[in-house]
Amino acid sequence: MKKIGLIVNPIAGMGGSVGLKGTDGETVKEAIALGAEPTTPKRIEETLSLIQRKDLYFLVAPGKMGEDYLKRFDFKYEVASKIGKDTNADDTKRIVLEMLKKGIKLLIFVGGDGTARDIYDAVGLTIPVVGIPSGVKMFSPVFALSPKAAAQIIDNNSSQLIEEEVLDIDEDAFRAGKLGAKLYGYLKVPKNIELLQGKKEPSNLSKPEEQSKEEIAKYLLENIEKDTLYILGPGTTLSTIAEKLNIQKTLLGIDAIFNEQLVGSDLNEKGLLEIIKKHGKAKIILTPIGGNGFIFGRASKQFTPRVLKLIDKKDVIVVATEDKISRLECLRVDTGDTETDNKLKGQVKVITGYKTETIIEVK
Amino acid sequence: MTINLNTNENPYLPDEKIHQAAMKGLDDINKYPELSDINELKKLLSKYNADFPSEQIILSHGSDLLLREIINIFSKERKIMMLSPSFFSVSNYVLEQAGKLTKFQLSPPHFALDTDFLLNELNEPTLLLIDNPNNPTGKIVLNYNLVGKILQNKNTLVLVDEAYFEFSGQTFAGLLKNYPNLIITRTMDKAFSLAGLRLGYLLAGDYFKDYFSDYPQLLSEPTVFAAIESLKNIELMKQVVAKIVDERERVSKKLKELGFEVFPSETNFLLIKSKIPELALKLKNKGILIYDLSSIYFNDFYRITIGNSNENDNLLNTILEID
Repeated sequence: MKKIGLIVNPIAGMGGSVGLKGTDGETVKEAIALGAEPTTPKRIEETLSLIQRKDLYFLVAPGKMGEDYLKRFDFKYEVASKIGKDTNADDTKRIVLEMLKKGIKLLIFVGGDGTARDIYDAVGLTIPVVGIPSGVKMFSPVFALSPKAAAQIIDNNSSQLIEEEVLDIDEDAFRAGKLGAKLYGYLKVPKNIELLQGKKEPSNLSKPEEQSKEEIAKYLLENIEKDTLYILGPGTTLSTIAEKLNIQKTLLGIDAIFNEQLVGSDLNEKGLLEIIKKHGKAKIILTPIGGNGFIFGRASKQFTPRVLKLIDKKDVIVVATEDKISRLECLRVDTGDTETDNKLKGQVKVITGYKTETIIEVK
Repeated sequence: MTINLNTNENPYLPDEKIHQAAMKGLDDINKYPELSDINELKKLLSKYNADFPSEQIILSHGSDLLLREIINIFSKERKIMMLSPSFFSVSNYVLEQAGKLTKFQLSPPHFALDTDFLLNELNEPTLLLIDNPNNPTGKIVLNYNLVGKILQNKNTLVLVDEAYFEFSGQTFAGLLKNYPNLIITRTMDKAFSLAGLRLGYLLAGDYFKDYFSDYPQLLSEPTVFAAIESLKNIELMKQVVAKIVDERERVSKKLKELGFEVFPSETNFLLIKSKIPELALKLKNKGILIYDLSSIYFNDFYRITIGNSNENDNLLNTILEID
């Protein structure tokens, strides 16, 4: 039997649908107050239901940190350590260290970048890990592309390991109005190349990049339609468009403009639903995450399936600098709702500069 | 000595006779080339291309100049469509006069075009630029059926660059007779080992021929003489191409055994994906140059030109050392 650890960050991803940038530290209380519901159970259950291997022996964190989900399946397991009512990052680190002492050979964790940082603090490069993406922020390429992909990686049992970065929002740069990923360390992941999420490349503000964004903004503004609600996703490319309109855009938030005026700022799912219903016709302008190409289901989780059901595919305007798009094999969606994902899949035109576009597949 | 496997040149020198012909071209370098020599070259190219009318064959020092000419002239108020990646260059000047630039991203593992999507995009005057096989993927992206459908759209001008035709064996020259909106670029740089003499040519459909009627085609005599000599003995070229193709398959197999992802190629180069970080830099430090595509395409993708067997062995052995 292969001893593997399983730990779940029960609050990861909760901030997404209510427009928070994460649930690190005290933010979780705000998320709960705003009506956020846990997203992790569905993610971990999907992975567990797809694992075919029968030779696994789990050391699982107690209760909502793992046991609650695992016990519904037929796996052999024992519970590692204890937890109180509220859990935090220290619990994650403490429990993982106990699992290590008990000899786990692989650790499966569910969460986002914050969780990845905690896992890195505890295991470093000692054993390989498989990250099931469930957070709001997922800059780190340590995560599998989806719960399904995570199950495949666990089944494939590759002995070849690669080091992947643990990245998180660079808080200092973020406060200075720049979107960048900061390197916090490395984790070892089983080699399974196609299935790993690509590295989130921070959009550096170098001159050609900036010029490219200027061009995109110019082109979009020339083609902007009157009496149409435009919802702007996060990122520096979109900020450039807002600047042209003298609008103060939030860097990681979702904002809305109507006839060149800001009509919604840092909108969460509820705010988006309301504003779209109010204006009737809406278009989304957004940019993919560099490196892995996600347009929905990663950085901007406020775009929930419920929101996206109100938007036609042709009204999703994807913009990206040529440099960013030429390095993407495809764009990706993972909203958690198959029907919504399927609606968005297929070829899409990405605006890459003034009068220039690239046709690329959304998978 | 550095081994250059990064520019898709032919590793073999042309036959001694061809070398001598080029040297003979130096005899009268104080004089302009003779028109009769140019005409002889065109006649041989016509024969080489299934008797395509020689007056519709346009010569130039390198096909790059012809590509530039076509893009500059025929993009005006047209949408330009091309593949990404590809080595066509569209300047800001061209973009100013063109309607729009649309690129089709080719992605592994198949690097395939969504043909229905492409055909639907031909709804306005368009200049379609396609390198077939594509550089750097090495993949044939067009077939006869698709090109026929595209060409039926009279608003669409189609330029196919067939720089690697002798390796792929696939050409759309047969469609030129029926479709005036097709133009094909070729080169003698690759299969004929004449990269240093720069001989490119056009097979121009009727729509294009008038634009090129006054195109200056007086090429240098060493180039013209070497090209004439090369075309008199096509078999020699075919043998060299066969040798390179054999080597390509051998190198491909070995690289796969070494754990690389190697994509099928119809050219004199291979597209590979490597998990050795900074492979190109590590090889460069050991005197071998390959093309690192990370700056224009995906990370970990490299293009390797097929060299002679010694060069290829050297590459394979060096990779073993660095892995």
